[in-house]
Amino acid sequence: MNDHDPNIAARQRWMGVLARAGDALDAHEAALKDSDYQLIRSPEVGMTLVRGRMGGTGSAFNLGEMTVTRCVVRLADGRTGYSYLAGRDKRRAELAALADAHLQGSDQARWLSDLIEPLARQQREQRLARAAQTATTQVEFFTLVRGED
Amino acid sequence: MTTPHSSHWLQPAFDDPVLDAQVSFRAALAALAEPGLTQSMARAHALGDLAPATYGLCLAFLDSDTPLWLAPRFDTPLIRANLAFHCGCPIVAEREIALFALLDESELADLSDFDNGSERYPDQSCTLLIQLADLHAGAPQRWRGPGIKDVRSVNLPLPASFWQQRQARSAFPRGLDCFFAAGGDVIGLPRSTRVLIETEEAA
Repeated sequence: MNDHDPNIAARQRWMGVLARAGDALDAHEAALKDSDYQLIRSPEVGMTLVRGRMGGTGSAFNLGEMTVTRCVVRLADGRTGYSYLAGRDKRRAELAALADAHLQGSDQARWLSDLIEPLARQQREQRLARAAQTATTQVEFFTLVRGED
Repeated sequence: MTTPHSSHWLQPAFDDPVLDAQVSFRAALAALAEPGLTQSMARAHALGDLAPATYGLCLAFLDSDTPLWLAPRFDTPLIRANLAFHCGCPIVAEREIALFALLDESELADLSDFDNGSERYPDQSCTLLIQLADLHAGAPQRWRGPGIKDVRSVNLPLPASFWQQRQARSAFPRGLDCFFAAGGDVIGLPRSTRVLIETEEAA
């Protein structure tokens, strides 16, 4: 519906970064909780069905269920923040929801540069390091002689 | 259905979602099992014009499978946003397809459009959640029926037109089940209860 709305794309990006942040969120706990807020939906754990697709043309199949923690907070000025995190960490779900609420406010640029960009950079470096580590184990097969001819 | 800024209206619902929902649902069952007895339903906070008991009934009953009809008094952005968020129930404009209806005392003169079930599926009738100012300010009535040993005296302040409408929509097993809520209290009135006003048998 709103696939091309830049605001929604930006929010999807930071919610994804927050969902992958894990223990890196803990360092920002004091800053995130440094304002009045209330829990609209206190952190709760549930299950969600993960669906997969085999190849580009295969029909979707049910891969399995995973635990998800979700949370909704509201700041004193009425802004609401949402979070959905894999796993069962209620404290970090609350932190991620607070971050989402702060990121929709007037201080968005500061929160992006202080919180999201370092996390995104860290996640990118981890991903590249893991890819590089995996790449060293890659085996390439060459066919020298095929026995024909 | 929800506007982009509807999240500004959101408020917390139950303090302890699991336990409070179970306690509220249990109280609602008890209210129907013993018609006319006042049950405590005070786990939710008030929401705009919705009393704690009315909102507690909504939170206990409504989910994505239960279309809800809202009386005009309750059809506010605040109530719509919070019911959509906490219950996820579709809010419908046609009374005929609603499984639950949220009414106030001004809506009781005409119940003809609410679904009272079918002979085969009488359970699919619309359940009326009726918010009153008080549950004990009316003339005494005698209730009889399942869940009542002998007779029970109930003082609901309801207009005579409500009892006529209830009688008109009642063709057992078809009929309308009602909950009356005020403040933090609720009284149930299932379709099986016979209501006697003075000496005349009314329903």
